[in-house]
Amino acid sequence: MGLKLNFNLDPRTKIIILVLISFMVFNEVPLYISGILVLVPFICLFFSNRIKLALSYILIYIFAKYIQIYLLPTATGIIAIFLIMFSYTATRMLPILMMGYYTIQTTKVSEFIASMEKSNIPKEITIPLSVIFRYIPSVYEEIKSITDAMKMRGFGLNAKSLKNPLKLIEFYMIPILVNAIKTADELSAASLTRGLSNPISRTHFVEVKLNKIDYVLLVISFMGLGIYAYYFLGGVLFA
Amino acid sequence: MSEMINVKDLITVGIFAVILTVLIFLFGMLGYIPILMIGLPIIAALIAGIPYMLFLTRVDKFGMVTLLGLILGIVMFLSGHTWIPIVVYTICGLIADIVLKMGNYTSIKNSIVSYGFFSLGVFGNMLPFYILRDYFVESIRASMGTDYVNVILPFLTNEMLIVLIIVTFIVGLIGAYIGKIVLKKHFKKAGIA
Repeated sequence: MGLKLNFNLDPRTKIIILVLISFMVFNEVPLYISGILVLVPFICLFFSNRIKLALSYILIYIFAKYIQIYLLPTATGIIAIFLIMFSYTATRMLPILMMGYYTIQTTKVSEFIASMEKSNIPKEITIPLSVIFRYIPSVYEEIKSITDAMKMRGFGLNAKSLKNPLKLIEFYMIPILVNAIKTADELSAASLTRGLSNPISRTHFVEVKLNKIDYVLLVISFMGLGIYAYYFLGGVLFA
Repeated sequence: MSEMINVKDLITVGIFAVILTVLIFLFGMLGYIPILMIGLPIIAALIAGIPYMLFLTRVDKFGMVTLLGLILGIVMFLSGHTWIPIVVYTICGLIADIVLKMGNYTSIKNSIVSYGFFSLGVFGNMLPFYILRDYFVESIRASMGTDYVNVILPFLTNEMLIVLIIVTFIVGLIGAYIGKIVLKKHFKKAGIA
């Protein structure tokens, strides 16, 4: 894409949008309302060099919505349960999953901390949250490599090992926990050298501020929330 | 409070919050099978005992468990549950913290009981089902079909909620005990517990 957009959202924008989407994801609303929400993660992913993911996300969503609208009323029995499961997961959880993925993938920890401190959130909350940001991707990597290591010893994720779920849980849990403790020690040593425990307020290398594009996205998602609220309140008022 | 919570403690809280979140989400996937959705708190209580007991070996100040609950609640909030988990997780964490404080952070009995209370936090994810029951049943009926609702409906009564809470508490005690055994088996030997 020759499109060069300065698409670097403020972490606050990402989190506000995440919260807004999570408000609306739980209720069944007409397509023209949920469409707004579905498009916001799409835009974010599309303009941050994740075009393939964005397109497949929107395709899966449309497919699931299609199933929900046209196929479900006529489906019965076991097929119906699978179709319901798929379309329910895709239409409700996918937007928020994608937004969460985008937030975690594109937010640098330093940006996150800077923006959180700018909005005066105490460090008792920002530090654990930034550890979460930093650590969730590596937990998934660890799970992957543990699976590989178990396969090498003939204990992969297959029907045979599923017969013995307690062993499976133990084999996964112990390495992850050992690693977690190690990471905790390393991170706290690293943070100590960087003076994170210094009580004086810190300066930041990265500058975070709300750009035009932040405002545009925020306005779009707040409009979505407004229409959504109007739809529900109107439904109550006119019922 | 003998000492303030320092950065090292905060990082430990963050790391364990990640592990508990991953566990809850992985087992939350089982919720698509109707019966297991009701059993979710019980399974979660059983599994999460091991990380929690390991977490307790790092805890010696008031507030860390409360903070863990608060952070878990925020993560649940950000991931599409309502705001209710924040309140429930924090309250459960606070009770667990008080129980630990009474045992001076060393008593094994108190840490097992405190896990019993902490594991009730998962009900934060479930309570919206009960509070908005009628509304919710309709929306599930629309999205998951009548069969699913018929299976799930007998479990959505208030009596059932109380039974579930009690069962989860007891299973939490068992989970914590298992955690203690695993701790002895694996982590004491490795010198990190």
